[in-house]
Amino acid sequence: MEAAVLEAAVFDAVSSVCDPEYPDVTIAELGILESVSMADNGSVVRIELVPTMLGCPALDVIRRDVAAAAQSACVGAKARIEVVFVADPVWTPDRIAPSAVAFMAREYSVAVRSALTDATCPICGNAALEHRSDFGPTPCRSVEWCPNCRNPIEVVGRVDIAVSA
Amino acid sequence: MSDVNRPDPSDARQVVLALADDELCVGQNLAWWIAVGPFLEEDLALTSISQDELGHARALYGLLGDDIDALAYGRQPHEYRSAHLTELPCRDWGETLVRHFLYDTAESIRWQAFADSSWEALGAVARRALAEERSHLRHASGLLSRLLRTESGCSQLLPLFDQFAPMACELFDVPSGCSSDDLVAGGVMSSPLGDQRAEWQATVDEALAQVGYQPKWPDHKELGSPASGRDGQRSPHFATLHAEMVEVLTIDPSAVW
Repeated sequence: MEAAVLEAAVFDAVSSVCDPEYPDVTIAELGILESVSMADNGSVVRIELVPTMLGCPALDVIRRDVAAAAQSACVGAKARIEVVFVADPVWTPDRIAPSAVAFMAREYSVAVRSALTDATCPICGNAALEHRSDFGPTPCRSVEWCPNCRNPIEVVGRVDIAVSA
Repeated sequence: MSDVNRPDPSDARQVVLALADDELCVGQNLAWWIAVGPFLEEDLALTSISQDELGHARALYGLLGDDIDALAYGRQPHEYRSAHLTELPCRDWGETLVRHFLYDTAESIRWQAFADSSWEALGAVARRALAEERSHLRHASGLLSRLLRTESGCSQLLPLFDQFAPMACELFDVPSGCSSDDLVAGGVMSSPLGDQRAEWQATVDEALAQVGYQPKWPDHKELGSPASGRDGQRSPHFATLHAEMVEVLTIDPSAVW
Protein backbone atom coordinates (compact mmCIF):
# COMPACT_ATOMS: atom_id res chain seq x y z
CA MET A 1 0.00 0.00 0.00
CA GLU A 2 1.28 3.48 -0.86
CA ALA A 3 2.49 5.47 2.15
CA ALA A 4 0.04 8.35 1.73
CA VAL A 5 -2.87 5.96 1.31
CA LEU A 6 -1.82 3.96 4.34
CA GLU A 7 -1.41 7.13 6.40
CA ALA A 8 -4.90 8.29 5.43
CA ALA A 9 -6.39 4.86 6.16
CA VAL A 10 -4.79 4.76 9.61
CA PHE A 11 -5.89 8.32 10.31
CA ASP A 12 -9.49 7.41 9.46
CA ALA A 13 -9.35 4.29 11.61
CA VAL A 14 -7.86 5.90 14.72
CA SER A 15 -10.06 9.00 14.38
CA SER A 16 -13.07 6.89 15.20
CA VAL A 17 -11.60 5.39 18.40
CA CYS A 18 -13.76 6.48 21.32
CA ASP A 19 -12.69 7.67 24.73
CA PRO A 20 -13.29 5.08 27.49
CA GLU A 21 -14.93 7.75 29.67
CA TYR A 22 -17.27 8.96 26.91
CA PRO A 23 -17.81 5.83 24.82
CA ASP A 24 -19.49 7.67 21.95
CA VAL A 25 -17.13 10.63 21.71
CA THR A 26 -14.00 10.07 19.64
CA ILE A 27 -10.43 10.89 20.59
CA ALA A 28 -10.32 13.11 17.50
CA GLU A 29 -13.28 15.15 18.78
CA LEU A 30 -11.66 15.42 22.20
CA GLY A 31 -8.40 16.70 20.73
CA ILE A 32 -6.44 13.70 22.04
CA LEU A 33 -5.38 12.62 18.55
CA GLU A 34 -2.52 14.87 17.48
CA SER A 35 -1.13 13.35 14.29
CA VAL A 36 -0.60 10.29 12.14
CA SER A 37 2.57 10.22 10.06
CA MET A 38 4.87 7.82 8.27
CA ALA A 39 8.38 7.55 9.69
CA ASP A 40 11.59 5.68 8.86
CA ASN A 41 11.02 5.63 5.09
CA GLY A 42 7.51 4.35 5.38
CA SER A 43 8.32 1.41 7.64
CA VAL A 44 6.65 2.96 10.71
CA VAL A 45 3.23 4.53 11.17
CA ARG A 46 3.66 6.96 14.07
CA ILE A 47 0.54 8.05 15.92
CA GLU A 48 0.94 10.90 18.38
CA LEU A 49 -1.62 11.38 21.13
CA VAL A 50 -1.91 14.23 23.63
CA PRO A 51 -2.89 13.16 27.16
CA THR A 52 -5.60 15.28 28.79
CA MET A 53 -3.65 14.88 32.03
CA LEU A 54 -0.30 13.12 32.51
CA GLY A 55 -1.87 11.00 35.25
CA CYS A 56 -5.00 10.00 33.34
CA PRO A 57 -5.62 6.33 34.18
CA ALA A 58 -7.24 5.73 30.78
CA LEU A 59 -4.03 6.35 28.81
CA ASP A 60 -3.14 2.67 28.50
CA VAL A 61 -6.65 1.76 27.36
CA ILE A 62 -6.60 4.54 24.77
CA ARG A 63 -3.17 3.47 23.55
CA ARG A 64 -4.33 -0.13 23.20
CA ASP A 65 -7.53 0.83 21.35
CA VAL A 66 -5.63 3.13 19.01
CA ALA A 67 -3.03 0.46 18.26
CA ALA A 68 -5.77 -2.08 17.51
CA ALA A 69 -7.61 0.34 15.21
CA ALA A 70 -4.39 1.22 13.40
CA GLN A 71 -3.54 -2.45 13.04
CA SER A 72 -6.88 -3.16 11.39
CA ALA A 73 -6.19 -0.43 8.84
CA CYS A 74 -2.71 -1.82 8.16
CA VAL A 75 -3.69 -5.34 7.22
CA GLY A 76 -1.51 -6.36 4.30
CA ALA A 77 0.96 -3.53 4.86
CA LYS A 78 4.38 -4.17 6.35
CA ALA A 79 4.55 -1.00 8.43
CA ARG A 80 5.09 -1.19 12.19
CA ILE A 81 2.71 0.84 14.35
CA GLU A 82 4.02 3.18 17.01
CA VAL A 83 1.61 4.90 19.42
CA VAL A 84 3.12 7.59 21.62
CA PHE A 85 1.77 10.10 24.10
CA VAL A 86 3.53 13.44 23.71
CA ALA A 87 3.77 16.15 26.39
CA ASP A 88 3.94 18.91 23.82
CA PRO A 89 1.53 20.43 22.86
CA VAL A 90 -0.28 20.74 26.19
CA TRP A 91 -3.85 19.50 25.95
CA THR A 92 -6.46 22.06 26.90
CA PRO A 93 -10.26 21.89 26.66
CA ASP A 94 -9.96 24.27 23.67
CA ARG A 95 -9.06 21.17 21.70
CA ILE A 96 -12.55 19.68 22.15
CA ALA A 97 -14.68 20.10 19.01
CA PRO A 98 -17.75 22.35 19.50
CA SER A 99 -20.03 19.52 18.38
CA ALA A 100 -18.58 17.30 21.11
CA VAL A 101 -19.06 20.05 23.72
CA ALA A 102 -22.77 20.13 22.89
CA PHE A 103 -23.00 16.34 22.82
CA MET A 104 -21.26 15.92 26.19
CA ALA A 105 -23.62 18.46 27.76
CA ARG A 106 -26.66 16.67 26.39
CA GLU A 107 -25.63 13.05 26.90
CA TYR A 108 -23.38 13.21 29.97
CA SER A 109 -24.44 16.44 31.72
CA VAL A 110 -20.80 17.49 31.60
CA ALA A 111 -19.83 21.09 30.84
CA VAL A 112 -16.61 22.23 29.19
CA ARG A 113 -14.74 25.33 30.26
CA SER A 114 -12.05 26.61 27.92
CA ALA A 115 -10.64 29.81 26.54
CA LEU A 116 -13.12 29.41 23.67
CA THR A 117 -16.20 28.11 25.46
CA ASP A 118 -17.66 29.57 28.62
CA ALA A 119 -19.06 26.71 30.66
CA THR A 120 -22.84 26.68 30.78
CA CYS A 121 -24.99 24.51 32.97
CA PRO A 122 -25.79 21.38 30.93
CA ILE A 123 -29.09 21.06 32.78
CA CYS A 124 -30.60 24.56 32.64
CA GLY A 125 -28.25 26.52 30.37
CA ASN A 126 -27.25 29.08 33.00
CA ALA A 127 -23.85 30.58 32.16
CA ALA A 128 -23.00 31.83 35.65
CA LEU A 129 -21.57 28.69 37.25
CA GLU A 130 -19.71 29.00 40.54
CA HIS A 131 -16.38 27.28 41.07
CA ARG A 132 -16.45 24.74 43.88
CA SER A 133 -13.41 22.46 43.64
CA ASP A 134 -10.55 21.90 41.21
CA PHE A 135 -10.85 18.19 41.84
CA GLY A 136 -13.74 16.06 40.68
CA PRO A 137 -14.55 12.48 39.78
CA THR A 138 -11.66 12.24 37.30
CA PRO A 139 -8.38 14.21 37.12
CA CYS A 140 -9.61 16.19 34.10
CA ARG A 141 -12.90 17.31 35.67
CA SER A 142 -13.53 19.95 38.31
CA VAL A 143 -16.73 20.64 40.21
CA GLU A 144 -18.84 23.77 39.84
CA TRP A 145 -22.27 24.72 41.13
CA CYS A 146 -25.27 26.05 39.25
CA PRO A 147 -27.06 28.60 41.47
CA ASN A 148 -30.03 28.62 39.08
CA CYS A 149 -31.03 24.94 39.04
CA ARG A 150 -29.06 24.18 42.22
CA ASN A 151 -27.09 21.26 40.85
CA PRO A 152 -23.42 20.42 41.18
CA ILE A 153 -21.90 20.39 37.69
CA GLU A 154 -18.91 18.45 36.44
CA VAL A 155 -16.74 20.62 34.25
CA VAL A 156 -13.98 19.32 31.99
CA GLY A 157 -10.85 21.36 32.61
CA ARG A 158 -9.42 22.63 35.87
CA VAL A 159 -9.31 26.40 35.89
CA ASP A 160 -5.60 26.70 35.11
CA ILE A 161 -5.54 24.07 32.44
CA ALA A 162 -8.43 25.78 30.71
CA VAL A 163 -6.66 29.11 30.55
CA SER A 164 -3.08 27.98 30.02
CA ALA A 165 -3.33 27.56 26.26
CA MET B 1 30.07 26.35 24.34
CA SER B 2 33.17 24.39 25.25
CA ASP B 3 32.90 20.72 26.06
CA VAL B 4 34.16 21.45 29.56
CA ASN B 5 30.91 23.23 30.34
CA ARG B 6 28.69 20.57 28.85
CA PRO B 7 26.74 18.77 31.53
CA ASP B 8 27.39 15.09 31.67
CA PRO B 9 24.15 13.68 30.25
CA SER B 10 24.18 11.19 33.05
CA ASP B 11 24.04 14.11 35.53
CA ALA B 12 20.81 15.26 33.95
CA ARG B 13 19.49 11.71 34.03
CA GLN B 14 20.40 11.35 37.69
CA VAL B 15 18.51 14.52 38.56
CA VAL B 16 15.47 13.44 36.55
CA LEU B 17 15.55 10.04 38.24
CA ALA B 18 15.59 11.73 41.66
CA LEU B 19 12.60 13.87 40.68
CA ALA B 20 10.74 10.88 39.30
CA ASP B 21 11.34 8.92 42.50
CA ASP B 22 10.06 11.87 44.57
CA GLU B 23 6.89 11.94 42.49
CA LEU B 24 6.42 8.19 42.68
CA CYS B 25 6.70 8.13 46.48
CA VAL B 26 4.46 11.18 47.00
CA GLY B 27 1.87 9.82 44.56
CA GLN B 28 1.83 6.43 46.22
CA ASN B 29 1.70 7.87 49.74
CA LEU B 30 -1.12 10.32 48.97
CA ALA B 31 -3.17 7.47 47.53
CA TRP B 32 -3.59 6.28 51.11
CA TRP B 33 -6.34 8.94 51.50
CA ILE B 34 -8.66 7.23 49.03
CA ALA B 35 -12.04 6.99 50.78
CA VAL B 36 -10.71 8.16 54.16
CA GLY B 37 -10.17 11.89 53.56
CA PRO B 38 -11.52 14.14 56.32
CA PHE B 39 -14.28 15.37 53.98
CA LEU B 40 -15.41 14.33 50.51
CA GLU B 41 -13.85 17.20 48.56
CA GLU B 42 -10.54 16.65 50.32
CA ASP B 43 -10.66 12.96 49.58
CA LEU B 44 -11.09 13.77 45.88
CA ALA B 45 -8.43 16.48 45.96
CA LEU B 46 -5.69 14.41 47.59
CA THR B 47 -6.33 11.40 45.43
CA SER B 48 -6.51 13.48 42.23
CA ILE B 49 -3.19 15.03 43.20
CA SER B 50 -1.88 11.53 43.87
CA GLN B 51 -2.86 10.50 40.34
CA ASP B 52 -1.24 13.61 38.89
CA GLU B 53 2.04 12.95 40.72
CA LEU B 54 2.10 9.34 39.57
CA GLY B 55 1.51 10.63 36.05
CA HIS B 56 4.45 13.01 36.42
CA ALA B 57 6.62 10.15 37.67
CA ARG B 58 5.59 8.10 34.67
CA ALA B 59 6.42 10.93 32.26
CA LEU B 60 9.83 11.43 33.88
CA TYR B 61 10.69 7.73 33.89
CA GLY B 62 9.62 7.72 30.25
CA LEU B 63 12.48 10.15 29.55
CA LEU B 64 14.93 7.63 30.97
CA GLY B 65 13.82 4.40 29.36
CA ASP B 66 11.04 2.47 27.68
CA ASP B 67 10.26 0.04 30.48
CA ILE B 68 8.62 2.41 32.93
CA ASP B 69 7.42 -0.31 35.30
CA ALA B 70 10.93 -1.73 35.55
CA LEU B 71 12.26 1.71 36.43
CA ALA B 72 9.49 2.49 38.88
CA TYR B 73 9.26 -0.87 40.62
CA GLY B 74 12.13 -3.06 39.55
CA ARG B 75 15.11 -1.43 41.26
CA GLN B 76 16.74 -2.31 44.53
CA PRO B 77 16.06 0.14 47.40
CA HIS B 78 19.57 1.62 47.23
CA GLU B 79 18.98 2.47 43.57
CA TYR B 80 16.13 4.87 44.36
CA ARG B 81 16.97 8.56 44.73
CA SER B 82 13.92 9.89 46.55
CA ALA B 83 14.18 12.59 49.22
CA HIS B 84 13.26 11.19 52.61
CA LEU B 85 10.37 13.63 53.03
CA THR B 86 8.57 11.94 50.15
CA GLU B 87 8.87 8.49 51.70
CA LEU B 88 7.00 9.41 54.88
CA PRO B 89 3.59 7.80 55.25
CA CYS B 90 0.56 10.12 55.30
CA ARG B 91 -1.53 8.95 58.22
CA ASP B 92 -2.23 12.31 59.84
CA TRP B 93 -4.07 14.92 57.81
CA GLY B 94 -2.25 17.91 59.35
CA GLU B 95 1.10 16.34 58.53
CA THR B 96 -0.12 15.50 55.04
CA LEU B 97 -1.21 19.09 54.42
CA VAL B 98 2.05 20.65 55.65
CA ARG B 99 4.15 18.26 53.59
CA HIS B 100 1.87 18.74 50.59
CA PHE B 101 2.42 22.50 50.86
CA LEU B 102 6.20 22.16 51.24
CA TYR B 103 6.45 19.65 48.44
CA ASP B 104 4.23 21.36 45.91
CA THR B 105 5.78 24.80 46.41
CA ALA B 106 9.17 23.16 45.89
CA GLU B 107 7.96 21.22 42.90
CA SER B 108 6.58 24.28 41.10
CA ILE B 109 9.97 25.96 41.41
CA ARG B 110 11.80 22.85 40.21
CA TRP B 111 9.50 22.41 37.19
CA GLN B 112 9.83 26.08 36.32
CA ALA B 113 13.60 25.68 36.20
CA PHE B 114 13.18 22.92 33.61
CA ALA B 115 10.50 24.65 31.50
CA ASP B 116 12.99 25.92 28.89
CA SER B 117 15.41 23.04 29.23
CA SER B 118 17.94 22.27 26.50
CA TRP B 119 16.75 18.69 27.02
CA GLU B 120 13.64 19.40 24.97
CA ALA B 121 11.58 16.41 26.03
CA LEU B 122 12.20 17.32 29.68
CA GLY B 123 11.12 20.90 28.98
CA ALA B 124 7.89 19.63 27.41
CA VAL B 125 7.09 17.45 30.43
CA ALA B 126 7.89 20.35 32.77
CA ARG B 127 5.55 22.74 30.97
CA ARG B 128 2.82 20.13 30.91
CA ALA B 129 3.30 19.39 34.62
CA LEU B 130 3.34 23.08 35.56
CA ALA B 131 -0.15 23.48 34.10
CA GLU B 132 -1.34 20.78 36.51
CA GLU B 133 0.72 21.95 39.47
CA ARG B 134 -1.08 25.27 39.84
CA SER B 135 -4.19 23.55 41.10
CA HIS B 136 -2.11 21.56 43.61
CA LEU B 137 -0.59 24.75 44.93
CA ARG B 138 -3.92 26.52 45.12
CA HIS B 139 -5.28 23.59 47.10
CA ALA B 140 -2.37 23.49 49.54
CA SER B 141 -1.97 27.21 50.11
CA GLY B 142 -5.73 27.87 50.18
CA LEU B 143 -6.33 25.35 52.95
CA LEU B 144 -3.21 26.36 54.82
CA SER B 145 -3.99 30.05 54.88
CA ARG B 146 -7.58 29.42 55.98
CA LEU B 147 -6.53 27.06 58.76
CA LEU B 148 -3.84 29.45 59.96
CA ARG B 149 -6.56 32.01 60.65
CA THR B 150 -7.71 29.79 63.51
CA GLU B 151 -6.00 29.25 66.83
CA SER B 152 -6.18 25.48 66.70
CA GLY B 153 -4.92 25.52 63.10
CA CYS B 154 -1.85 27.47 64.19
CA SER B 155 -1.16 25.35 67.25
CA GLN B 156 -1.44 22.12 65.27
CA LEU B 157 0.21 23.07 62.00
CA LEU B 158 3.05 25.45 62.85
CA PRO B 159 5.13 22.95 64.87
CA LEU B 160 4.90 20.62 61.90
CA PHE B 161 6.80 23.15 59.80
CA ASP B 162 9.72 22.91 62.20
CA GLN B 163 9.58 19.16 61.87
CA PHE B 164 9.29 18.95 58.07
CA ALA B 165 10.73 22.15 56.55
CA PRO B 166 14.38 21.26 57.30
CA MET B 167 13.79 17.78 55.93
CA ALA B 168 12.20 19.21 52.79
CA CYS B 169 15.44 21.04 51.95
CA GLU B 170 16.65 17.73 50.56
CA LEU B 171 14.25 18.20 47.63
CA PHE B 172 16.83 20.61 46.24
CA ASP B 173 19.78 18.27 46.64
CA VAL B 174 21.28 16.26 43.82
CA PRO B 175 23.01 12.88 43.96
CA SER B 176 26.67 13.33 44.85
CA GLY B 177 28.87 13.69 41.83
CA CYS B 178 26.17 15.66 39.98
CA SER B 179 26.82 19.33 39.55
CA SER B 180 23.93 21.75 39.63
CA ASP B 181 26.14 24.48 38.10
CA ASP B 182 27.06 22.25 35.14
CA LEU B 183 23.39 21.56 34.49
CA VAL B 184 22.73 25.30 34.42
CA ALA B 185 25.74 25.91 32.15
CA GLY B 186 24.44 23.28 29.74
CA GLY B 187 20.95 24.76 29.73
CA VAL B 188 19.30 21.73 31.31
CA MET B 189 18.11 23.92 34.23
CA SER B 190 17.64 27.67 34.22
CA SER B 191 18.85 28.29 37.78
CA PRO B 192 21.13 26.50 40.25
CA LEU B 193 19.45 24.40 42.92
CA GLY B 194 20.78 26.71 45.62
CA ASP B 195 18.85 29.61 44.09
CA GLN B 196 15.77 27.45 43.67
CA ARG B 197 15.95 26.46 47.30
CA ALA B 198 16.32 30.09 48.41
CA GLU B 199 13.27 31.02 46.35
CA TRP B 200 11.32 28.16 47.89
CA GLN B 201 12.32 29.10 51.45
CA ALA B 202 11.20 32.68 50.77
CA THR B 203 7.83 31.35 49.53
CA VAL B 204 7.37 29.26 52.67
CA ASP B 205 8.46 32.17 54.89
CA GLU B 206 5.99 34.45 53.17
CA ALA B 207 3.10 32.02 53.67
CA LEU B 208 3.84 31.82 57.39
CA ALA B 209 4.52 35.54 57.82
CA GLN B 210 0.73 36.11 58.03
CA VAL B 211 0.87 34.51 61.47
CA GLY B 212 4.29 35.94 62.35
CA TYR B 213 5.97 32.56 62.22
CA GLN B 214 9.41 31.68 60.96
CA PRO B 215 10.28 28.02 60.48
CA LYS B 216 13.55 26.86 61.98
CA TRP B 217 15.64 26.39 58.85
CA PRO B 218 18.92 24.54 59.17
CA ASP B 219 21.74 27.06 59.60
CA HIS B 220 24.67 25.90 57.59
CA LYS B 221 23.45 23.14 55.41
CA GLU B 222 25.59 23.28 52.32
CA LEU B 223 23.49 23.89 49.23
CA GLY B 224 23.46 21.08 46.75
CA SER B 225 25.36 18.83 49.11
CA PRO B 226 25.05 15.10 48.72
CA ALA B 227 22.17 13.93 50.85
CA SER B 228 21.48 10.45 52.02
CA GLY B 229 18.22 9.92 50.09
CA ARG B 230 19.71 11.15 46.85
CA ASP B 231 22.64 8.79 47.28
CA GLY B 232 20.62 5.70 47.82
CA GLN B 233 20.16 5.51 51.57
CA ARG B 234 16.50 4.81 52.21
CA SER B 235 14.49 6.04 55.16
CA PRO B 236 12.93 3.44 57.48
CA HIS B 237 9.55 4.02 55.80
CA PHE B 238 10.64 3.08 52.32
CA ALA B 239 10.47 -0.69 52.72
CA THR B 240 6.76 -0.67 53.61
CA LEU B 241 5.97 1.81 50.84
CA HIS B 242 7.88 -0.19 48.26
CA ALA B 243 6.31 -3.48 49.33
CA GLU B 244 2.89 -1.90 48.85
CA MET B 245 3.83 -0.61 45.39
CA VAL B 246 5.07 -3.97 44.14
CA GLU B 247 2.51 -6.13 45.90
CA VAL B 248 0.66 -7.15 42.73
CA LEU B 249 3.85 -7.61 40.71
CA THR B 250 5.24 -9.82 43.46
CA ILE B 251 2.21 -12.09 43.32
CA ASP B 252 2.08 -12.08 39.52
CA PRO B 253 5.15 -10.70 37.71
CA SER B 254 3.35 -10.86 34.37
CA ALA B 255 0.32 -8.86 35.55
CA VAL B 256 -0.83 -6.10 33.22
CA TRP B 257 -3.60 -3.54 33.52
